[in-house]
Amino acid sequence: MSIYILCLILFAVGLYCLLVKRNLIKKIVGLGIMEYAVNLFFILLGYRHNGQAPILDKEQAIVNMVDPLPQALILTSIVIGLGVMALMVAITVRLYEKYRTFDIGEIRRLKG
Amino acid sequence: MSLIVKRITKITVSLIFLYGVYIVLHGHITPGGGFAGGVIIALSFIHLVLAFGKEAALKRLNETAVSAIESLGGLLFWGIALLGLLGGVFFLNILPKGRIFHLFSSGTIVLCNIAIFLKVGAGLFAIFIALAAMRMPAEKKEGKK
Repeated sequence: MSIYILCLILFAVGLYCLLVKRNLIKKIVGLGIMEYAVNLFFILLGYRHNGQAPILDKEQAIVNMVDPLPQALILTSIVIGLGVMALMVAITVRLYEKYRTFDIGEIRRLKG
Repeated sequence: MSLIVKRITKITVSLIFLYGVYIVLHGHITPGGGFAGGVIIALSFIHLVLAFGKEAALKRLNETAVSAIESLGGLLFWGIALLGLLGGVFFLNILPKGRIFHLFSSGTIVLCNIAIFLKVGAGLFAIFIALAAMRMPAEKKEGKK
């Protein structure tokens, strides 16, 4: 149980970074931490104590394997996270070219 | 970059590329597959960009080729899915399965892995080029406006 609470703390660290920091790069890092916390939580849900890796092999009998379903799901989640991260970095690069700063307090022309 | 980085890169880039191909081709019997192998191969090209600059990497694989390979990967995956319609169902594995745990087995899974590898490898490399190396033309276009 405590390991899930540690996951929640990691998520909260990412959320704090996303909400409080003013630098756009730090916000992106915070969003990445949140995403990894959620991924870790799903992987831990499928974990089994003393479990084996869920790979069919010649010498390995199918006993006490960890749940492979969250792992397949999280692989897709990692790919989507990569796409979102690339989009955010591209937008940040364009903003930096236009305003020459990463500080959202100084990017004022976005306000109406 | 310095001479040490360039020498080491020349040695390791081909090894990284070979490892990526291994991961892709053994995706149906060991951990790995199209996505992991594609990322590794894209990293080998990114390695080239970091050590020698974008010209050296783009000479081996220019932007139009990257774009074409990425589209080819998507079309190939779609074509493999349509191939299943010959047997009656979308994504049906109609090729002979072979013996389990052998390299030439599992029908269309290997072809799917290769298609995903083309898509992911070319896509990641294109993202890196677009972010890191292609910024100057964009600025020029901005100036013209």
